[in-house]
Amino acid sequence: MTDTASPAPPVATRSVAPHQLAWLRHELADWTSEGLLSEEQAARISTRYRSEHHARVSVGRVLLHLGAGFVGVGLIWLVAANLDELSPVARFTAVAVLWLAFLVGGESLAARHASPPIVGAARLLAALGFGALVFQAAQSLQVPAYEPRLVGLWAVGAFVHAYLTRAAAPFLVGVVTGVTWWFMQPLWDAQDGTAVVVLLGAGAVLTAALAVLHDGWIDGFAWTWRTVAGGMALAALFVAAIPGAAGDGLTWSPWLVVALGAAAAATIGAAVVRRGARILEPLGAAAVLLTATTLSLWTTGTDASTVDGADWAHAAISVAAYVVLAVALVALGTVRGHQALTWMAMVGLVVFTTFQGFAVFAPIVTGAWLFVVLGTLFLGTGFLFDRARRELVQALDATDRTSEGTGR
Amino acid sequence: MKRPLITAVVAVGQLALAALAVAPQLSARLAGDTYLVRVAPVDPIDPFRGAYVALDYPDLRHGGSRSSVEPGLGALEDGESGEVYIALAETDGVWVGAEWTRTRPTHGPYLACDDRSWQVRCGIESWFLPQEDAREAEVLLREGAVAELRVDARGNAAVVDVRAR
Repeated sequence: MTDTASPAPPVATRSVAPHQLAWLRHELADWTSEGLLSEEQAARISTRYRSEHHARVSVGRVLLHLGAGFVGVGLIWLVAANLDELSPVARFTAVAVLWLAFLVGGESLAARHASPPIVGAARLLAALGFGALVFQAAQSLQVPAYEPRLVGLWAVGAFVHAYLTRAAAPFLVGVVTGVTWWFMQPLWDAQDGTAVVVLLGAGAVLTAALAVLHDGWIDGFAWTWRTVAGGMALAALFVAAIPGAAGDGLTWSPWLVVALGAAAAATIGAAVVRRGARILEPLGAAAVLLTATTLSLWTTGTDASTVDGADWAHAAISVAAYVVLAVALVALGTVRGHQALTWMAMVGLVVFTTFQGFAVFAPIVTGAWLFVVLGTLFLGTGFLFDRARRELVQALDATDRTSEGTGR
Repeated sequence: MKRPLITAVVAVGQLALAALAVAPQLSARLAGDTYLVRVAPVDPIDPFRGAYVALDYPDLRHGGSRSSVEPGLGALEDGESGEVYIALAETDGVWVGAEWTRTRPTHGPYLACDDRSWQVRCGIESWFLPQEDAREAEVLLREGAVAELRVDARGNAAVVDVRAR
């Protein structure tokens, strides 16, 4: 293996975080000194990886994005509020010029391979500038600024920019405005607690399916969609478990049907395009949707001063469902190397257990005993959860060792 | 695709989306017919939007309802919210609200409005003027004025002028 008659073909290098590269070089040096690898083999392995400096969150990057965010918001505010001597057409023209300058400037910088943080900041300004353009057009023509479709169109525009240029900043603007619209549009017609639960659950299904569809295509976007899916799933069960949050049942609206249809279509698309175990992600989110909706529609006693059997059952099933979801997200986070999912699941479980503890026990247990009961509940949940997480990691490591060479 | 082409596609696509955001109002201005409606002032200047005269339409309000803090056409008070349609009828050279319904009239002219906020809005509740002109317009409105509206076949409306009656 060490001596080859002809030089090895060039191998594409992979970007890894600087601390990962330092660890690899340290291990390679150890293996070389122990005679496990030759110097040449170690050098060849080392050349397969390069340090991805831009992956680090540098102060400069944070300041650039923070500055771009402030300038973008400030421009929207400035034009909308203070340029009262300008006519509506002049205001729109001013905003359009700024938006176009940011868009063309950002893409020109990208074409010249300028520093990624600077390109990102310019693209962030362009994405915020597009929002300013939409809202200024609306203001100039007397469209009420609180209409959800304006936010929806802003999201579509940001996604057009993001997907055509593979740019992260417009993508994040699109995700934030898109998620906002996802709730704003259906709740514009009918507001009730169960509709919020259904929207959260359907959102989790849709974004989980999108994450699967993006795997191996645009990995950065897949990471974000998966994070949103995890957050929405946790939020869906959280809201569904709040006693009395459902109101008088579910009020159907056309947009709610559209949301469910979009989630189903994305899941079918993911099943067709990405065969195999990956489909478990949107299917798992669909199970969360069904569980959360059922819990939300299950109304127990309305008397807050007493806790009957139905209240206990509701709380117990809610806690069990939440723990299952949290463990599933930790498993997914471990399998995918997605640390954010693991942390979201753990923080979500802490907040959920505490909230449920207060909601269930506060009416019947007061004072110091409330803290004792809550603390015991919390310690028990935390112990079981941490044990499950460790066993899962060990099981996955054992699987990796036995099936060495195969991908996850 | 080359970068300039991608940038052009993004720019054109986003401009089209911005146009879509204001499509009903553009349609009213470009394809609508003209109607004169009596108009009165509510509040001369909205400090958050520049020199906009907030307009009130005495002949378009439903029953005895009134708009107060912000411009609007009062409330329908039928326990529902959503689309509201105001059928227009001509009286003494100006157009007045003849009927308020939740279903779209089969024939016009009518205004397509919304009362999801706490009062009815038809997109004709404010009129931009420079700061000095706005004060003059306030006097004009107090003495009696009409708003020139453009209304298209779908009830989308836009204010194109405010003048003495």
